[in-house]
Amino acid sequence: MIPAQFDYQAPATLEEAVSLLASDPDGAKILAGGHSLIPAMKLRLAQPQLLIDIGRIKSLAYIREEGDQILIGATTTHYQLESSDLLKRICPLLPECAKSIGDVQVRNKGTIGGSIAHSDPAGDWPAAVLALGADLVLVGPHGERTVKAEEFFVDLLTTALEPGEILREIRIKKPSGRFGHAYQKVPHPASGFAVVGIAVHLELNDDNSCKAAAIGVTGVSVKAYRAKGVENALAGTSLDTDAIAAAEKHVCDGVDPNSDLYASSDYRCQLARVYTRRALQAAKANVQ
Amino acid sequence: MKLDGTHQLEAARERVYQCLVDPEVLQRCIPGCERLEKTAENTFAATIRTGVGSIKGVFNGTARLEDLREPEHLRIVVDGKGTPGFLKGSGDLDLEQAENGTKITYAGDVQVGGTIASVGQRMIQGTAKMMATQFFTSLGAEAATQVGEPPPQHGFFRTALRWFSGWLKNIFRKQ
Amino acid sequence: MTNNYVGKRVKRTEDPRLIRGLAHYVDDVALPGTLHVSFVRSIYAHARITNVDTSAALAAPGVVAVYTGHDVAKIGAVPCASALPDLKVPDHRVLASDKVYFVGHPIAAVVATDRYAARDAVDLVMVDYEELPVVTDVEQAAAGGPVIHESFGDNIAYKLTTGEGDIDAAFAAADRTVKQRILHNRLAPIAMEPRGVLARYFPGEEELTMWSSTQIPHLMRTQVALMIGIPENKLRVITPEVGGGFGSKLNVYAEEALLGWISMQLGKPVKWIETRRENMLATIHGRGQVGDIEVAFKNDGTLTGLRYSVFADLGAYHQLLTPAIPTLTGLMLSGAYKIPAIQMNITGCFTNKMATDAYRGAGRPEATYVVERALDLVAAELGADPAEVRRKNFPAPSEFPFHTATGLDYDSGDYEAALNKAQEIAGYAQLREEQKQGRQEGRLMGIGVSTYVEICALGPSQAMPAGGWESATVRIEPTGKVTVLTGASPHGQGQETSFAQIAADELGVDINDITVIHGDTGVVQYGIGTFGSRATAVGGTAVFVAIQKLKEKAQKIAAHMLKADASRVSFEGGKYSLEAAAAASAATGTSEPVVPVGEAPAGALPEPQTEGKSSLTIQDIALAAHLAKELPPDTEPGLSATYFFEPKNFTFPFGTHIAVVEIDHETGDIKFLRYVAVDDCGRVINPMLVDGQVHGGIVQSIGQAMYEEVVYDEQGQLVTGTLMDYAVPRAKHIPNFELDRTETPSPVNPLGVKGVGEAGTIGATPAIVGAIVDALAPFGVRHLDMPIKPENVWRIINHG
Repeated sequence: MIPAQFDYQAPATLEEAVSLLASDPDGAKILAGGHSLIPAMKLRLAQPQLLIDIGRIKSLAYIREEGDQILIGATTTHYQLESSDLLKRICPLLPECAKSIGDVQVRNKGTIGGSIAHSDPAGDWPAAVLALGADLVLVGPHGERTVKAEEFFVDLLTTALEPGEILREIRIKKPSGRFGHAYQKVPHPASGFAVVGIAVHLELNDDNSCKAAAIGVTGVSVKAYRAKGVENALAGTSLDTDAIAAAEKHVCDGVDPNSDLYASSDYRCQLARVYTRRALQAAKANVQ
Repeated sequence: MKLDGTHQLEAARERVYQCLVDPEVLQRCIPGCERLEKTAENTFAATIRTGVGSIKGVFNGTARLEDLREPEHLRIVVDGKGTPGFLKGSGDLDLEQAENGTKITYAGDVQVGGTIASVGQRMIQGTAKMMATQFFTSLGAEAATQVGEPPPQHGFFRTALRWFSGWLKNIFRKQ
Repeated sequence: MTNNYVGKRVKRTEDPRLIRGLAHYVDDVALPGTLHVSFVRSIYAHARITNVDTSAALAAPGVVAVYTGHDVAKIGAVPCASALPDLKVPDHRVLASDKVYFVGHPIAAVVATDRYAARDAVDLVMVDYEELPVVTDVEQAAAGGPVIHESFGDNIAYKLTTGEGDIDAAFAAADRTVKQRILHNRLAPIAMEPRGVLARYFPGEEELTMWSSTQIPHLMRTQVALMIGIPENKLRVITPEVGGGFGSKLNVYAEEALLGWISMQLGKPVKWIETRRENMLATIHGRGQVGDIEVAFKNDGTLTGLRYSVFADLGAYHQLLTPAIPTLTGLMLSGAYKIPAIQMNITGCFTNKMATDAYRGAGRPEATYVVERALDLVAAELGADPAEVRRKNFPAPSEFPFHTATGLDYDSGDYEAALNKAQEIAGYAQLREEQKQGRQEGRLMGIGVSTYVEICALGPSQAMPAGGWESATVRIEPTGKVTVLTGASPHGQGQETSFAQIAADELGVDINDITVIHGDTGVVQYGIGTFGSRATAVGGTAVFVAIQKLKEKAQKIAAHMLKADASRVSFEGGKYSLEAAAAASAATGTSEPVVPVGEAPAGALPEPQTEGKSSLTIQDIALAAHLAKELPPDTEPGLSATYFFEPKNFTFPFGTHIAVVEIDHETGDIKFLRYVAVDDCGRVINPMLVDGQVHGGIVQSIGQAMYEEVVYDEQGQLVTGTLMDYAVPRAKHIPNFELDRTETPSPVNPLGVKGVGEAGTIGATPAIVGAIVDALAPFGVRHLDMPIKPENVWRIINHG
């Protein structure tokens, strides 16, 4: 790769990273796993003046339980999430989503925080954190703030991160009660990105009816979103074939679906409907 | 690539039109416009530093206003070249008096070339839509001020976008 | 022949260095003081260049020179080796100076002290363009779209009609005819290693050495020498490891000549390594035809005539073989069938795109595809089984050599045997039954059959632009090590292994004693190169015959040393022996010492110990031949032989591929259930190499059938410019292959080898498309154009 010239800093702490970023909030970019930024730099579509490599801050990569929350450090790699026994046990959506990303090399280097902060319209993690109702902890020169995943994704490659802010942690309330998870995705044959990706967090009542469904959708619009229309249509139903069929129709409500060489907006919506159903069925089958 | 849509601005049609032909206002509304100098009647030399996310580029080129029919129609023609490739486009803007402001209907054609064309296929449409939204959102804020009043503050765009996305959500809830 | 190695699954001797990352590609060759080149390329598909301002680039740190089209006007045109009647050949300069014709067209070369500085300075070269109207669609180009090369007046590079038999009569007399418009998607070859060139000029010696990632080092040497005006024998071309070519490196590119010339200008080594984006933009593409296939046939399915009228999208310029590729399509339009009358009408057109040229199969996949699609259409028209329609039209094994109405004589074949074997492996009848039942249950299952023939071992020199032979030198060194120099220039196919197998068996030596050297014009005698599935059939034969020559000489020396008449000396297991004579001499003990007794001087070679022996290894003889102290009269010292093999005909491998797919109703997703291939590539030297070639070819066919397509927009912008957009199939897209073979030796060469490098890209595509179309038959579908993406399928299912 022959990128444009840039400076490189590998701070030892997050505080140092924040102050480096403050020195040039427009020209500096945070580098974590590099799987979004480096390809853009290679093509010289991104020409940052300074790369602040937070991938070497060991304390930023972790998966742990704290009270009723799961805390995930921003530089935790896809592979670490994919292979976490803790997550497989208490929040299987995350490992399932992780294993659908790219290939082994990508999963070994790419990070959850990088993916979320980049907010690629076809990235996998945004769908998962939306479905899990995650909180995103951002740290900047003025301290920390927490933003709900739903408010974090603003537009195409645009998030609630202000210049100078770094995504530090993903916080997820531990799923409880009777729940089922699924992530179902149509990968683009070339890029592996989601043509459509549907993340489902499903909660059931004791009578097996739907207590609540949270559905994160990626690939369909300029940013990942919650399919509220589907969620509302499912609430209280028995989740039988008819109920799911009636609900899946709403997955593209209110969005202007993407269209590209691989999938027109019509077809993309069709895939979103079919994969919403398949993901719901899988989530239902996964309920403990 | 075709690009079309409508935007609702809370300002009188005449005021919106004035803003659209005022280079200073245009410079503030065109996302990333660093320079907009008049080189001839209705023709401007422009430098635009723009992008989305970490993808950024600098384009130098011209912008021209054509087919001016105050206050209902004008056409903007832009042509720029930069390190990531080139960008060309033209769009017809129709302004209609609406209930509480002005409805702008735009229909245009955007063409990109070079690196951005060959690698950004899946995002070009989204980017164009986003730029259009940025432009019209800023224009709306500009037009909401009175002539002579100071222009709206910079950095307001993010807020506007959040507002816009909140507005989408509201629409969505209604369904 | 002892036959220890030939026919066995000998592991590739190339692989350890490749898989351990120890192989050397062009970019691994590091010379001190190397300068780096980066190219300014057009961002417009068609434009006049009004100004090129290099001043800012020249002032940039590290920049040594910037060359524009005017600076390099003395370099000769990029060559086109195709000779066709009335062919229009544009003046293809190494850098554009007045006009650019496609996105990626090189305009200036920036030379700097490192590749980063060179690339940075590219952005500082200011090019002013005046845009011109663009034509990217080949039919529009033919119909009078914007003219690309003004002096020609139109975009038609050539028109050609080929074929034999009375085509009009055939169609007039037919019971039925079918016609189908068929598109052959433009493909990017995507060799794993992009192109790369390193050039080093020694001004004192006036010698230029070029390392290039090419399939044709000798042809490149000749052409580049002519382009840049250096005596051919002062230019040495070396191909280090070449990371694949697929035909894309069967070419002479502007960048190659330029790098050589720049090194001569600056007296320094200069290097250019193509980026993947440049590889997509400015390395040749393949395929790119659109045309109508028409077949005439009787009610019983007998074919009587075939006509293919096609527009070939040549791109903006001719590369080495650009216009010739569609003519190869014309040659193979008889497929595996008896068709009395065949006509091909080609219109080759310029478009504002990168040139097309040879990509694995090179014109033959197009032929097989249209013929096989046509056979499926005939079957659909008659309500017959596609396999049976094929069987009905095969020539019988006794009809070979079989003359086609395209003017070829197929060497040997038993097409029905391959079909039968494939059907047996697939359980064809059962599959059809399963399909029938499945359809009742609403399953969309399809079975596709392709019975292909290809033309390989290119080829007789009469049919080739620059010689169709191949060369070999086989030399046994004083230490007994065997050196094989081949003019073929393999680049991943494994001939270092297969040629060693041939040599080891023929010489009766251990395979580890053999080294196969290729791809260095300073070391290897002139050769033609590796392409057209020719390396083993032509180059391997050259090795084989050279060894026979070498053995003739060795036999004479052996007889002399064994003091016997040559006719009584036999060769077996690497040894020359004369049982009777040996026994006699051992009994009497009267043999003379073979070398004078005395102290060996320092550095002397060990003397061959032949005294009292009844047999001598060929390696003993090599040493004796080298020492030259006991040679028969009038015998040249040394033990080596060179042979240039000129084949009398092409070879015609064949086979049957059967694909079975199932389609997801809701998404249009296509899943392979089975993939069976029975290929006949004549005699097999190494079954593992053959399997590997077939695997790779089928994968690329899957790519063409389902994923790959070079897309330019209407303005000539390349939309599929990275591997994030251009979908090369991944392992997960590939089914398990069930491979088998029949083995019908070729009479064209003494090895009986036919060639297999392109079989997969030729035989597989129609089977895959046939299977998908078959699955969609309930919707009235008879043909779909490639790449068949899930969305296309979904639209058919849901919208008719």
